[in-house]
Amino acid sequence: MSTFDATTLVYVFQIIIGGLLVGVGVHFVPVGGAPAAMAQATGVGTGTVQLATGSGLTGLISAGLMMSVAPDNMLLIVMSGAVGAMIMINVTMLVGNWSYVYAVGVPPVSGKVDYDPITKDPQPPYIAPGTVGHGVPTVSYVSGTIGGLMGGAGGSLIYYALMNINGISGLSAFFAIGIFVVNAVIASYNIQGTIEGFHDPKFKRLPKAIQSCFVATLIIGIFAVLIHGGV
Amino acid sequence: MSVAAGGGESKIDKTKLTMYGVGGGILGMYLAHVLNMLTGTGYFSFLAGLGAIAAVVMGADAVRRVCAYGIGTGVPSIGMMAMGMGLVAAMFGLAIAGVAGPIIGVAIAMGFGYLMGILANKVIKMNIPVMEEVLMSLGAAGAIVILSLSVVISGEINYLDMLNDVVFTGYIAIVFIAGALAILQPFNANLGPDETQDRTLVLAISTGALGMFAAGIGSLITVGVGGGVLTMLIAAAIWLKAFLWFFKLVKRDSAGVVGTGLLPEGGL
Amino acid sequence: MDMVSMGLLAAMGALATIAGTSEDLESDVGSQSNPNSQVQLAAQVGHTHRIYNKAISGEPPSNALYAALAAVTASVLMSDVYGMNAFFSIAVGALVAAVFNGILSMTSYMGRNASQARFDQYIYLDVLRSHTTTIMAHAYITAFCVVAISYIMTAPWLPIQHPFPLPVIAFIWGLALGAIGSSTGDVHYGAERQFQQYPFGAGLNAANSGDIVTKGEAGLRSSIDNAWFCAKFGGPVTGLAFGLIVFLDNWRTTVFDPATQGWYAVLIGILIVILLNIGNRLLEIRAKKMYGPYPEYAGEIKA
Repeated sequence: MSTFDATTLVYVFQIIIGGLLVGVGVHFVPVGGAPAAMAQATGVGTGTVQLATGSGLTGLISAGLMMSVAPDNMLLIVMSGAVGAMIMINVTMLVGNWSYVYAVGVPPVSGKVDYDPITKDPQPPYIAPGTVGHGVPTVSYVSGTIGGLMGGAGGSLIYYALMNINGISGLSAFFAIGIFVVNAVIASYNIQGTIEGFHDPKFKRLPKAIQSCFVATLIIGIFAVLIHGGV
Repeated sequence: MSVAAGGGESKIDKTKLTMYGVGGGILGMYLAHVLNMLTGTGYFSFLAGLGAIAAVVMGADAVRRVCAYGIGTGVPSIGMMAMGMGLVAAMFGLAIAGVAGPIIGVAIAMGFGYLMGILANKVIKMNIPVMEEVLMSLGAAGAIVILSLSVVISGEINYLDMLNDVVFTGYIAIVFIAGALAILQPFNANLGPDETQDRTLVLAISTGALGMFAAGIGSLITVGVGGGVLTMLIAAAIWLKAFLWFFKLVKRDSAGVVGTGLLPEGGL
Repeated sequence: MDMVSMGLLAAMGALATIAGTSEDLESDVGSQSNPNSQVQLAAQVGHTHRIYNKAISGEPPSNALYAALAAVTASVLMSDVYGMNAFFSIAVGALVAAVFNGILSMTSYMGRNASQARFDQYIYLDVLRSHTTTIMAHAYITAFCVVAISYIMTAPWLPIQHPFPLPVIAFIWGLALGAIGSSTGDVHYGAERQFQQYPFGAGLNAANSGDIVTKGEAGLRSSIDNAWFCAKFGGPVTGLAFGLIVFLDNWRTTVFDPATQGWYAVLIGILIVILLNIGNRLLEIRAKKMYGPYPEYAGEIKA
């Protein structure tokens, strides 16, 4: 067992911050679940955990590459991860919108607000009958970008902390994936699987997710930092 | 992402399944470890794979129990969470306790599962009565599957060997995801109003064997050709048996298995 | 930046585009992921069908499995012990992944349809025979391309030296690819192809849930026709999405050396993100102008 000293505490702290970023970030990712794939609800047509994990792990690839050449620059590593995740989620949402606009023939529109909080565009006239919105409108898109930023940064921060403890990239990456998934699932239970973005009323449930993710990451993080790299 | 629809009743009791799953999983690992050590070969690694199958059956039944409630995020995420918890717990057990590691790891994984269940029910207020108990089983199943498949690859229970054989080579990826799919696929593939427990669990044996086969491929390098091929052959045999059994149950349960043809009366 | 890195980067982008396309078409033939919920519902609302119904635990985990499995097999064969050529190792690895895919697909089709016995949903063995091979073929291409990308990122004799081992990178790309495939191309299948009898230009009205098209131009609709349809739009855009992600993500660190110019790579990434945000806004404006408000709308708020 590695010794538990002040540095270890710092790493636990970093892991908790990372876990919280993931948990909060999931709330920003606009996903509509199965109905969204039928252009029946606003958001990306997939599961919260799936999209958040996909983007967060793409960020992890960028962060891993950065950490292999600049192991001490925490901010750079975390930002690399965040940017990688943002690019992934942005391209996915944009191409998803192409599908909605050109393949299904519906404009991106939110079903939860009358006016888009960012562009002030009216929403209800563009909602197809029998649906509750479709596509990824600007407010959800920006929200998703923030979600990608937080998810990518969170995953990378967990990876960074673990790398400093055990120094094995494969192990740290998988622990980061494990902690990431646990937080993403808890957060996604909190929003019952679908959310449109920060303008969605469900976003107000955020404090509960913060509490849960804090406890979960604290416990798992303490165990994770005690795993040494076999030296 | 699929809409959860409840299944049929359970004929096999969950306590019994948990007992066989945990007992069989841990027994398999230790038998593989001890026999490999005594004989100095890798031929007995397949025993750990058999343990993994037992744990997969237990995990699949847990997924089945919880997904009768609408958990809002589909079947896959709960299994991914179980594997995430199981991985950290399993590695922690190995790192601090050596040979006793698997038992400690499984216990910690159950603790994690219980904690997540409490968080889900008490803080997030999902109000799913079986959540704590199911996540405990799933955490244990995840940890056992990860440990067993790792033992298949490394040949013995030893943290340093595992690091060399499973982590540095990257085979941890297949251990993680083949285990996850093995636990998730049975219920997900049988989801529907006429789901039956025995059919789901038989499919769990078959997916567990697939996971064992995948780990066997990795062990071709680490354990050696003999041990690896033996694991793969046994896994293939179990898979074939379970698949044929599954097909028999499909024929029993379905409206009709036909070679070809149009839709039944009323469908056109 | 040198010519070799640039060429490899281009190859990665191209491989990713192919992988994305075949991944989406694979899930369309099998009705995997979210549109699956409608296939599942169809029998319940009285439309029995001959459409393939495979649900393999969500697209991201299943694609992560195929990629990781292919990568593990490839890395075993490539190792010093067996010493196989990388190209053939990846090909054999993808074959193993395709076989796993076929097994999981078949059990899903049989299991799901057997669980709908009360709605008279039959299991058609000819559907199983003809479609499973199509699905496996697509999965083979996907697995091959994803592992090839991962190999380019990790091979010791190539310029990019990623610290993660080959199977871990393949796992992550597989997972990301599954997430992209289920988010982008599946919409074309779920919202358009499944509901072609309803007018273009609207999402699925909740009242019509489960009323999917079960008949084809002649006879009953087969899922292979769905791949034919989705290959016109859904598949290629999914490929474009994954290609863009792999390309843009690696382009930044190829042009700017991460060791010395890491911050440039981050800044250029942020610039790309801003451009994508603007692009989406332009698309939204264009779509609203092109289609206008729905004529059925009778609310207070003016468009």
